[in-house]
Amino acid sequence: MNLLRYHLRKLFLILKNEVFVLPSRIVVLLFFLTVLLLPLLYDDPYMMRILILASIFAIFAASWDLLSGFTGQINFGHALFFGVGAYGTAILNLRAGFPPWASIPAGALVAVLAGLLVGLPCLRLRGTYLALTTLAFPIILMGFVFSVPELTGGELGLSGLSRLARSRIANYYIVVITMLVLVTVMWKITDSHMGIIFHAIREDELAVKAAGINTTKYKLIAFSLSGFFAGLAGGLYAHFMRIAGPSTLEISMSFQVVIWSVFGGMVTIWGPVGAVFILFPLLEFFRIWPELRQLMFAIVVMIVLLYMPGGLLPWLRSKIENECPRCKIRNIATRKVCRVCAADLH
Amino acid sequence: MLIDILITSLINGSTYALLAIGFSLIFGVARIVNIAHTAFYMVAAYCIYFTTYRLGFNPLSAMITGIVFVSILGLIVYKIFIAPIREHEQAVLIGTIALAIALQEIMMLIFTGDYLSVPALIKGYATILGVKVFYQQLITFASVLVVLGLMRLFLMHTKLGLAIRATAQDREVANLMGMNESRVAMMAVVISVGLAGATGAIIVPLTTVEPFMWSHPLIMMMAVVVLGGMGSIKGSFYAAFILGFAEAMVVFLIPSGAFLKGAVALSIMILVLVVRPTGLFGVQFEEEG
Amino acid sequence: MKKVRLLLVAGLVGMLALTIGVPAWGADTIKIGVIGPMQFVQGKGHWNGAIMAEEEINAKGGVKVGKKMMKIELVKADSNEFLNVTDATNAMELLMTRDKVDFVVGGFRTEAVLAMQDIAMEYQKIFIGCGAAHPELCTRVAQDYDTYKYFFRGTPFNSAFLVRTSFLHLKFVGDILKKELGLEKVKVAVVAEKAMWADPMVAATEGFLPKIGMESVGVWRPSPVATDVTAELSAIQRAGAQMIFTIFSSSVGIPFARQGGELKIPAVQVGINVEGQKDGFWEATQGMGEYILTMNTYCRGVEYNELTAPFVETYYKRFGETPTYTADTYSAIKAIVATIEETGSLDADELVKAMEVSERKVASGIVKYMKDEQGRHLHDLTWGPGYLTSLAIQWIDGKPVGVWPNKWVAAPGAPEITYKGIQDYKIPPWVIQAYKK
Repeated sequence: MNLLRYHLRKLFLILKNEVFVLPSRIVVLLFFLTVLLLPLLYDDPYMMRILILASIFAIFAASWDLLSGFTGQINFGHALFFGVGAYGTAILNLRAGFPPWASIPAGALVAVLAGLLVGLPCLRLRGTYLALTTLAFPIILMGFVFSVPELTGGELGLSGLSRLARSRIANYYIVVITMLVLVTVMWKITDSHMGIIFHAIREDELAVKAAGINTTKYKLIAFSLSGFFAGLAGGLYAHFMRIAGPSTLEISMSFQVVIWSVFGGMVTIWGPVGAVFILFPLLEFFRIWPELRQLMFAIVVMIVLLYMPGGLLPWLRSKIENECPRCKIRNIATRKVCRVCAADLH
Repeated sequence: MLIDILITSLINGSTYALLAIGFSLIFGVARIVNIAHTAFYMVAAYCIYFTTYRLGFNPLSAMITGIVFVSILGLIVYKIFIAPIREHEQAVLIGTIALAIALQEIMMLIFTGDYLSVPALIKGYATILGVKVFYQQLITFASVLVVLGLMRLFLMHTKLGLAIRATAQDREVANLMGMNESRVAMMAVVISVGLAGATGAIIVPLTTVEPFMWSHPLIMMMAVVVLGGMGSIKGSFYAAFILGFAEAMVVFLIPSGAFLKGAVALSIMILVLVVRPTGLFGVQFEEEG
Repeated sequence: MKKVRLLLVAGLVGMLALTIGVPAWGADTIKIGVIGPMQFVQGKGHWNGAIMAEEEINAKGGVKVGKKMMKIELVKADSNEFLNVTDATNAMELLMTRDKVDFVVGGFRTEAVLAMQDIAMEYQKIFIGCGAAHPELCTRVAQDYDTYKYFFRGTPFNSAFLVRTSFLHLKFVGDILKKELGLEKVKVAVVAEKAMWADPMVAATEGFLPKIGMESVGVWRPSPVATDVTAELSAIQRAGAQMIFTIFSSSVGIPFARQGGELKIPAVQVGINVEGQKDGFWEATQGMGEYILTMNTYCRGVEYNELTAPFVETYYKRFGETPTYTADTYSAIKAIVATIEETGSLDADELVKAMEVSERKVASGIVKYMKDEQGRHLHDLTWGPGYLTSLAIQWIDGKPVGVWPNKWVAAPGAPEITYKGIQDYKIPPWVIQAYKK
């Protein structure tokens, strides 16, 4: 009883002192609560479908940010990892009879392999060279997919994968909880020692090398990690849609993930995730003007970038929170003095 | 067979070269990776279709209208959407992707997704060494040479050309030397988009006009530019013919694998880059900032 | 800046409104979802055909369900399936859960239809596929009847029959070439877009060509979206082909026909060229696609039965174009309605049973659903004389002209078949010039 009371008290204190002091943290808490509780209040299969897909793409977008945002290795062919994950999962599920809980991680491991295969030749490439070269990989793989239709199903793809779960609501919780866990893990990775090295590689690779750090190793780690998470997203997608087809490798898929991430704000992990949860339903919402749908989407992206070139969410955050000039702790914008060091904020 | 391959690769190559030169220019000078480059090419195609069939222009004046219209459109779009965020490299990237999608959708709204076509400047074909070649393809090949010649004259012998080269070499120093960097960038954008329009005008009679016609050449164009070395017009020129040659080889030597021509060309590009990370003629730009 | 915020707020509010939901409609209408790539010719065909059926049925007062008369209400859903398969499944889900349609017709790209099929089956709604030809859609019905029994093929008949029909066309034209040009053996170049559905067709040509006195000079597999095929065409001419067997469902059909005609490659094009089935083909090829022959479903002036001309002509008057095969949503809806009236029920299971045994005359022939070798229901269309056969059309002087079946004897001893309005096949003049001795 005492123990329970102790933990409750601790939880309350954390909420009060760590979460409720910053609006952005409240938003994150609300986001967790909303996606977890929404289907209990309103179990509409269409809404759940949209949120499931948004969750899958959120993992995908965050994995791009992990590689391209943090280490600066702009990957224009991220669909490769997604597609390899999807196809790998589908082949293991259909041919080898793996159940989803095994086929998805195994498919993601195949995507890691793909990450290494892409990462190795790309190690020496910089900036735009890298971006435009990576664009080529999914297209080459697409050629492969079409040349071995016995294995990949050609333009039909591989269909008839087993379901994640029987009911929509179970599917929902599997995907959403996976998403919350994976995104948190990715965020933790970027917050760790490794994340700092990733940051540093983006800022000045030479300096990192000079500091005696093997940047090659870290870059390959970034490629593999990113491939792993994107592969998981691809595997989830394949099992949810019950089909893995060439559309997972299309350029539009690669572009889509870049749009989400940059729109939401790179080098944050939460930015791309938020962007997917805004843009994916937004595209659905635009169904009320079916002819103008894609156009409206493109215009929204362009206008937001015009005013917030650093991304929508960091811009919003900067409006409601300030950083203390002395101790670098974030404060709500309404505060006059810092909540930790009491320095003047204006 | 060998002659077939050679002629086909020259013709494929010149299409890619025309596109790649414009793309390379805008990257070299303004550091803008303009994904919408081929979208402008598509707009030019539609413009020519519109002026030919709805307004009854003759092919040549339709072509000129198309090029002028696209250049102006490029200038306006650059002023409104790209110039204000030029410092944010990623934002520009996405901005141009969104721009390409927007242009595609606008064309779709006006002209629907139907496949359209425009007449050739000169109809018919010539037989060269037993290979049938469209006059239009010969025009394409000739215009590559003309455009290259003009570009060289312009870059080497005019003041603006000098400014463009200087800016391409070092933006900051050029700025310090009293060159209006943003104006130079703007001029480069106009020329580059104009080139995209011109390419559209020349190639369109050979292909189908549709709202998605920008995505295939986009990939090949980027491959050409990367293979040749970014910002190097000479590199783009050679790379275009190398990839054109690779594609032709695939079609002729393994006919049942003709669909792989893009994939093979891209693999070659990656192999070259593994050996030479800055392409054939590229120079590594020093880190800016 | 304010505007941006306003837009965002409006967007969020709108989304909320959307999630809270649209009020359910009264139960006096039968709702039919029409799903397809609405921005493209295929989807427009889906929608136009459906509109025609709806107008005709509602003008007669609606559908008689038992004693009640019910109107039909169409719900348009843009699947955007060419660009985004995820989108297509979302659109299907929307039809099922928000619009609560009773039936769905449409679908085109096989990858998307497979995914959409799963969703419709989950909600146990009858889905009549009007566009994808792959057999897999129907083998699923046989293999897992309880899940997939709500799926029926509406059009076209499956790709195995497409092969058979186009081989008949190949032989038909081959015989004409032999006779007119005095050729002993006709050399054929096989050009098939690189797609799974074309693979069995390509494989089958190897065995089939020698049987009908023809010889293959090579197989070319361009990408379905290739825009320049001059290289392939030069190679084909080098190989000395007199006939080109085309297997195209995508945009590559246009440059191939156009460049082939413009370069006057001395070989006739026969086969499937889906782009050649559309009225816009002439314009898209600048008239260079003249003389190509392709399988097609409808052609103005050609009649399968007494229903064909009214459908084709009304459609032409209403929409200014000949119906393509996706416009067979018209027949699909008519078939659903007829079945409802016969059974007097809206229950999907009952309707499925009735449709399985029915034999129904539609504008393109007679629809009868077949079983597989093991006698399992396949819900696939029966092909053959007396059922569905389709046509071959040839482009002559800006217009498609029906040229097959022309005195077609389907089996030894069977009666000759020639549909009303069929004309003679014409060999392109440059081909005659190249081979005539």
